[in-house]
Amino acid sequence: MDPAAFEWNAMHGWAIATAAMVSAGCAVVGTLLVVRRMSLLGDAISHAVLPGIAVAVLAGGRPGGPLVLLGAVAAALVTVGLTQVLRSEGGLAEDSSAGVVFTTLFAAGVVLITAAASRIDLDPSCVLYGILELVPFDTIRIAGLEMPRAFVTAGLVFATILLGCVLTWKEQLFAAFDPDAARAAGMPVTATTIGLLAAAALATVASFEAVGAILVVAMLVVPAATAELLSRRLHRMMLLAVVIAVVSAAIGYLAAWHWNTSAAGMIAVVLGAAYVLAAVAAPQDGLVARLAAQAALNWRVTAEDCLAFLWREEESARRGPESRDRGGWTLRQRVALAWMSWAGGVLWTADGWRLTDSGRTRAETVVRSHRLWEAWLGHHVKLPLDHLHPPAEWIEHHLGADVRARIEAEVGGRDTDPHGRAIPPEQTS
Amino acid sequence: MAGEDRHQGPHTIEFHDVTVAYGRRPVLWNIDLAIDAPGLFAIIGPNGAGKSTLLKAALGLVPLAGGTVTFFGKPFADVRRRIGYVPQRETVDWDFPVSVMDVVLMGTYPRLGWFRRPGPAERDCARACLGRVGLADVADRQIGRLSGGQQQRVFLARALAQQADVYFLDEPLAGVDARSQDQIFRVLSELRGEGRLVVVVHHDLRTAAEWFDGVALVDMRLVASGPTASVLTSDNLRRTYAGPLDVLDEIGLAVEQARRTR
Amino acid sequence: MTIPYNTLVVAAGVAAVGFAAGVVGSLGVLRKRALAGDAAAHATLAGVATAFLVSGRRDLPVLLAGGLASALLSLGGLVLIRRFTKTRDDAATAIVLGVSFGIGIALLSGITARGIPGGGGLEQFLLGHTAALTAADAALLAGVSIAALAAVWLGLKEATLVAFDPAFAAASGWPVAVVDYCLVALVAVMVVVGLPAAGAVLVTALVVIPPVAARLWTDRVGPMLLVSGCIGLVAAVAGVVASGLVPRLATGPMIVLTAAAIFFVSLLFAPRRGWLAKRLGPRFPLTVE
Repeated sequence: MDPAAFEWNAMHGWAIATAAMVSAGCAVVGTLLVVRRMSLLGDAISHAVLPGIAVAVLAGGRPGGPLVLLGAVAAALVTVGLTQVLRSEGGLAEDSSAGVVFTTLFAAGVVLITAAASRIDLDPSCVLYGILELVPFDTIRIAGLEMPRAFVTAGLVFATILLGCVLTWKEQLFAAFDPDAARAAGMPVTATTIGLLAAAALATVASFEAVGAILVVAMLVVPAATAELLSRRLHRMMLLAVVIAVVSAAIGYLAAWHWNTSAAGMIAVVLGAAYVLAAVAAPQDGLVARLAAQAALNWRVTAEDCLAFLWREEESARRGPESRDRGGWTLRQRVALAWMSWAGGVLWTADGWRLTDSGRTRAETVVRSHRLWEAWLGHHVKLPLDHLHPPAEWIEHHLGADVRARIEAEVGGRDTDPHGRAIPPEQTS
Repeated sequence: MAGEDRHQGPHTIEFHDVTVAYGRRPVLWNIDLAIDAPGLFAIIGPNGAGKSTLLKAALGLVPLAGGTVTFFGKPFADVRRRIGYVPQRETVDWDFPVSVMDVVLMGTYPRLGWFRRPGPAERDCARACLGRVGLADVADRQIGRLSGGQQQRVFLARALAQQADVYFLDEPLAGVDARSQDQIFRVLSELRGEGRLVVVVHHDLRTAAEWFDGVALVDMRLVASGPTASVLTSDNLRRTYAGPLDVLDEIGLAVEQARRTR
Repeated sequence: MTIPYNTLVVAAGVAAVGFAAGVVGSLGVLRKRALAGDAAAHATLAGVATAFLVSGRRDLPVLLAGGLASALLSLGGLVLIRRFTKTRDDAATAIVLGVSFGIGIALLSGITARGIPGGGGLEQFLLGHTAALTAADAALLAGVSIAALAAVWLGLKEATLVAFDPAFAAASGWPVAVVDYCLVALVAVMVVVGLPAAGAVLVTALVVIPPVAARLWTDRVGPMLLVSGCIGLVAAVAGVVASGLVPRLATGPMIVLTAAAIFFVSLLFAPRRGWLAKRLGPRFPLTVE
């Protein structure tokens, strides 16, 4: 590779700035599309703006100019309208009707551009994946500063989208959460939806020169879907999506520069990597976190079962001569016991494991949960006595103090379980 | 139910301590229920009580979080062919391009196995089943061009074509005209007369008292079960329809939260 | 006017692809899996480019094998996302589609930028271009298409059952997931053999538009498969002819536009389900007791 190609100059800065600006606009719109389960409409729109752009260019519009923006928005709304008509008139499923409409419109766009290739400067392959690298060379001068035209367009579009989003935040939130309730409450859900689709069209057409029609799908959906794995609040999700989009745009551009390939393609690849990373390593919803939580829960259950067993042994010893039949501890239980002895719940003595005071407190809570639940089941559910133990064995690890109090109230304050054993009192500490 | 004391050998259906969870939240708690053939048996309860879920759990369509279901003392997978199923009508796309005959023939597919097509024997069987539900004259019509009651009867005919010993019907009388309702009940009674067991998820208490031999009242847990007259008491009904059981709901949430975050 | 032998053979091969895509696509549309095929289609590009880089040649069988591998990988990715994340189905499809297409574009641009001999022609897989196909290529496409038709013939009963009533199918012992995987894999195969004619971006239309149009003409699965196949065949041949007549015109868009034209004619004029029949014709009673 030519080492000179690695030399930094202002052109690269502008290209990255444009990519970042374009991505940010897509991320804002995409967040709303994803939470409203309209990702596939985003896909359809990104394909279908092509004929709108082609017609506008043929009518004398300049790529990135106002006429082209208008054409794209019109094409997007036509797409959505046609999809709706096919569903109501043709009885088509949502995905089939979208599939029919966007492939047809995209094909029409390609044919238009091919047919008029001599008159307009749109290259069919550029339409597919854009040429971010050439963006900095088409500039305009604003306030004495030479800026790429695409950057200015993207900036204006981003500002428009952001403004619309802030102004209609309440409506978007309500429509995303529960469109039927929003409609019933007199919210302008249809207008909100149309606004969102127009915004998607704007974001798409602003991205068009930089990343082409199809990779816009990745820029709309992937940052938002990634952010959704990392956050459970809409405003945080949107902010995160923008950050992810901007960072990925910069990394993707640099990677493409390094490997001498398409910047738009690499940005999509980096976005994909970010999604996979989040899916695996997100703090709450990631695969690793969920596996770890599951393992932690299983260990806690083992430990509590050991404690409860020791407690019941003490209980039967109090009542009479040692009669409980105990097999040896399993390996898993031994590990749990060793860990608890380090944590101060049990002690190793000459005649086996014994509870410490803190261990006893915790054991009593578990046994209390178990017996309260047996008492509740015996009271409310038609179940034979010998069927009570297994459900309680499972539920005993999951009850908080407040739920235990509720159950106690519902079983009418009795102090024995259906087998006649005492329910330990609530531990206060 | 009624036969429990005189019954020898395994029950026709036995739910043993069945708990079902959607996602992680339990929606059915510790169901213990035995039903014996022959009979017409109803599962009754308020909306969201888990009636359909109980049925789907028996058929292996939703996983069990605990407990077992056996048929004739064996797991469902071993006796699948002896069980017929009528899903809720809304679960399929009635615009699907198949005729009434095609749908009823689907009941014979398990007998046919992989790749074999239905032949004259299966067609005769399907035609006879259509006759039993009074739809012989619409066999070639597309299924969307039937009334709700007729659609339900097509599903029933498909189950008949399965030639099963136990039938599960999920809300077969929801949105069904009076004529179809009579026809359906007549066929179900015939099945009982042939020594089979019919289990119906049902919502109408009035017809339940009139038609069914046995009833289970369900509201997230089993409230009562047994012969219809002894179960449909005002006390049992009050306990079933008293409203959602807050404690079960709360514990369900607690279990879900514990599994998710700790 | 004489048509060169090669063009005739290619047209015949592409016609077989169009027919088989219409038939297989019908099952996909009936099972509501129309857009899984789209994700697979966009993913093929990465496989085609990788196969070219590994083999260093532009042999159609090798390239298509690569395309099929990456299409199946993308469908596997879709299954993984569904199984292990909380991302919803629509977003999952869009993610797989966008990212896998990005990988394909990055590979393709890399190949072009390095000027690897023969790499330039790979762009034909974006929008489809049949002019470069040889008779041997056409025979391969036709062969795979016939195999796909045989598979449909074999499993039609199972596919129809699962598509119509998955709950009943599962309760009566059919492995619904296995049937589904086979069905989607079959759609992926058709998408891949449709690639040379229609291109990665538009090949989805070949498995979506003909079935949707055919559905308007008939109320039975068998006839729907046949009609859909015929529409696919006509569209494919028209696309090949049109792009042969107009230089520089890609085949894919012409195939799609022909299919779309047939669809809109169907939407207007189909008996009973068409727009005119609904407006003018005698209304069929919904229920006849």
